[in-house]
Amino acid sequence: MNVFTASTRAAAIAIGALLLSANAAADGKLAIKAGKVVQGPGMPEIDKGVILIENGRIAAIGADVKVPWDATVIDAPKLVAFPGFVEAHSARGMDRPNENIDPAAFLSVRDSIDPVNFYFEDSLRWGITTINIQQGNNCVIAGQGMVVRPMGITIDEMTVKTVSGVKLSATPKAGMSAATQAQALRKAFGDLQRYLEQLVQEKKDGNDRARREALFQGRDLEGENAKGRAMEGSAWKVAGLELIPRGEIDEKQVPLLALVEGKLPAFFYCGRPMDVHRALEVARDNGFLARTTLVISPACYKAADVIAEAGVPVVLEGPVVFTETDPLTGAETEIFVPGELKKKNVRFALSSANTTTESLWFQAAQCVGRGMTKTDAVASVTTIPAEILGLGKQVGSLEVGKAGNVLLFSGEPLSVTSWVEKVVIEGKEAYDRSKDVRVKHLMAGKAPANTQAMGGSASAEKKVVCCEGEDPAEHAKHLEAEAKKKDKGEGEDK
Amino acid sequence: MSVYFGLAIALLAGAPQEDKDRTSWTISAEWVYTAAGDAIEGGLVTVSDGKIRSVSSGDGGQLQCFAVTPGLVDLSVRIDRGWNAVEQSREVTPEMRVVQALDWFDEGWMREARSGVTTAMVNVSDRNVVGGMSVVVKTAGASPQARTVKADSVLYGAIGSAPSSSNHPAYGRPDDFYSRRPTTRMGVEWEWRKAFYDAALAQRDKSKQVAGTTELQKVLAGEFPLMIQAWTTQDIRTAVFLKEELEREGLGAPRLIVDAAAEAWREPDLLVRTKTPVVLPPFAPQGRTGEGSFFALETAAQLDAKGLLVALSGHGARQVSQRLAYQPGYAMRGGMTFDAALKTVTINPARMVGVDRRVGSLESGKDADLVLWSGKPFELSSAVIGVLVDGRLILDPRQANK
Repeated sequence: MNVFTASTRAAAIAIGALLLSANAAADGKLAIKAGKVVQGPGMPEIDKGVILIENGRIAAIGADVKVPWDATVIDAPKLVAFPGFVEAHSARGMDRPNENIDPAAFLSVRDSIDPVNFYFEDSLRWGITTINIQQGNNCVIAGQGMVVRPMGITIDEMTVKTVSGVKLSATPKAGMSAATQAQALRKAFGDLQRYLEQLVQEKKDGNDRARREALFQGRDLEGENAKGRAMEGSAWKVAGLELIPRGEIDEKQVPLLALVEGKLPAFFYCGRPMDVHRALEVARDNGFLARTTLVISPACYKAADVIAEAGVPVVLEGPVVFTETDPLTGAETEIFVPGELKKKNVRFALSSANTTTESLWFQAAQCVGRGMTKTDAVASVTTIPAEILGLGKQVGSLEVGKAGNVLLFSGEPLSVTSWVEKVVIEGKEAYDRSKDVRVKHLMAGKAPANTQAMGGSASAEKKVVCCEGEDPAEHAKHLEAEAKKKDKGEGEDK
Repeated sequence: MSVYFGLAIALLAGAPQEDKDRTSWTISAEWVYTAAGDAIEGGLVTVSDGKIRSVSSGDGGQLQCFAVTPGLVDLSVRIDRGWNAVEQSREVTPEMRVVQALDWFDEGWMREARSGVTTAMVNVSDRNVVGGMSVVVKTAGASPQARTVKADSVLYGAIGSAPSSSNHPAYGRPDDFYSRRPTTRMGVEWEWRKAFYDAALAQRDKSKQVAGTTELQKVLAGEFPLMIQAWTTQDIRTAVFLKEELEREGLGAPRLIVDAAAEAWREPDLLVRTKTPVVLPPFAPQGRTGEGSFFALETAAQLDAKGLLVALSGHGARQVSQRLAYQPGYAMRGGMTFDAALKTVTINPARMVGVDRRVGSLESGKDADLVLWSGKPFELSSAVIGVLVDGRLILDPRQANK
């Protein structure tokens, strides 16, 4: 069996296990009774609280909530309920995160997301219930991202928001310099402007090439698409655009036009402090600054003043501590980046895209360790990313009317010894640690019987994974049992 | 608390000048974890002339914090392991001493010191089979002499793919550096056995004595431990079998320590049988780590429960959350108790290399190596806010408390 089929099957088994419980409370009522309910950053904690979720939304929350007779109940007197974490920007879970065409705003990560990718399973294990998937940082203008929940085996089941914004990068993509990257960014918008001007000119000249092309491509030319609309936006305008029925505009240019008209959010990557200026300039010159979020590396704290002045929020990618090396002496200084951002009043969300702990939870815990208040630290992984995604009223805290995205922790939510025991997404049980095959493997190295999980050294993979490490007598018994099963046609390979 | 600790570290240079050489302090904390007996709630540690004078109940110390632990001990700190930290002209170089290659001014020392590591063992790089002699040093101090805790602490070497990686046999024009042996894992194992058999032979026939024989003979006589890097279970087996073979043949009784024993969980009984102490590498979020090994999260807890001496290591990680100070937290996540986890970074490693009389616990008469924490030690939501090495303030907690 090659590695690919082994891992695919492991994923299928794991996700199958997750799905077993997924529909228990579908569209019904779910009551979670927790030892403690932490509603969200800066909100009161409720001892022995009850969260009642109806049709995916929180219908009531408090200590004295009456549980309807027909509600499914999760009784967890020893667990702590907490809002699901929100990932403001991630380039994982996709076939390939980077698209080589630029500009590629007409593409969508929808076609690239692999629902059985382990990343989504990992996310559940770490308590992340809402994820904005964007293309990778190695781009000029990449495709459109979308917001998903790490649940379900088709992209439609996973979708929370079909379009979350367009990804851009101010950091040179591989093989480009800062100058060519800047030129490519300018060219994309310059090309858009020239294209629109040409359309208007052709329309004035009575040339119906655009219309014929639209018809040939089978584009929708009715309803709103039949109407022309003057160009909106704050930066530059093409006079006479109202003459062009919107359906006649090339689909490849539509998302960029939406960006310029201020109708789409932008996630702009800045890998170095110098890139911050470039990103803000491009966003300002093309009228989408108000809808821009910068995705920054830790070094970009140096541009915190500029970011604060522009008033844009940021997603911090990478470790929370940046090590500055003095070029003369080689002496190192540790800079706590969220602390610097906070001082300059830059709104920031943390990201699990880091090589250290790979989770939002531990990132937030480290912020507390460095002197940040728990309220601010928790906000940077719940409410602030939710607001950045335009979902501030939907997710990020446990409040009536918001989505029923609830984590049940085994202990204090920011403690290294706590585990996410259960995850509820929109009232459905999405994760149960006791049924998590792979967590057992990560913990003990051994996968439970009759499952196959990833991991193990090259030498170990040659062994019988099912009962590896057990004594030979156990192994023999197991093989016998397997043989019997095969006789009855219950083998795993049928 | 308005000042962020990261900034406080930058401001350390601003600590009062008269405190720079001061080696006498009183430190009080809500919890003093001694790693020798029970924790003391509301404890006071008195330090004078760089030594611990007393550990007792009390308050009102000149330095205050939430918790105090002994300075951390890392047996595989991997500082300064560049190409000049291993002699590659031969594969077996037990006579080489890593102390000769140390850069005492490497910034890595401060990186370790301010994150709580006060005692570190530096080993030669794993590119040789039998690499050479390690040294145990303090991460800060006035001079190399003052910083050295134990010279010739262990003989260090490696089993696995590292010593043979990039080597190739001398075919064609043998004009590059890597035209050397061993080129396979079995070659690595052969080098190990040949080295020890030759050393044993030279014991009887002095004319067979070559450079490095003495060190190998001392290992056989059990004068200092033999530390072997072995990530995978296959490599751990080889190390243990080598030790058992040498014993069986009557050549000696090497005191084996396995370093980077990521897959020790696979066959713990091998290690229990031979009472082999293990040093574990940093925890890996997805389990996968060096040389293709898989490091299960419960490993430390499991080995400790079986009575093995376990130490954790940070491998000189640059990221704060991967450094030694946070490794016990991950071990606790894998089921270890706090008390056991504390020992894996203090007294256990000190005992393994025989420096426990000086460091590893808070006891009267020991070196005043202390770590001061803002909260419960090893939690990611706690930070190391103060560090003392031999009574000297390396990181000033008063900056963080301001």
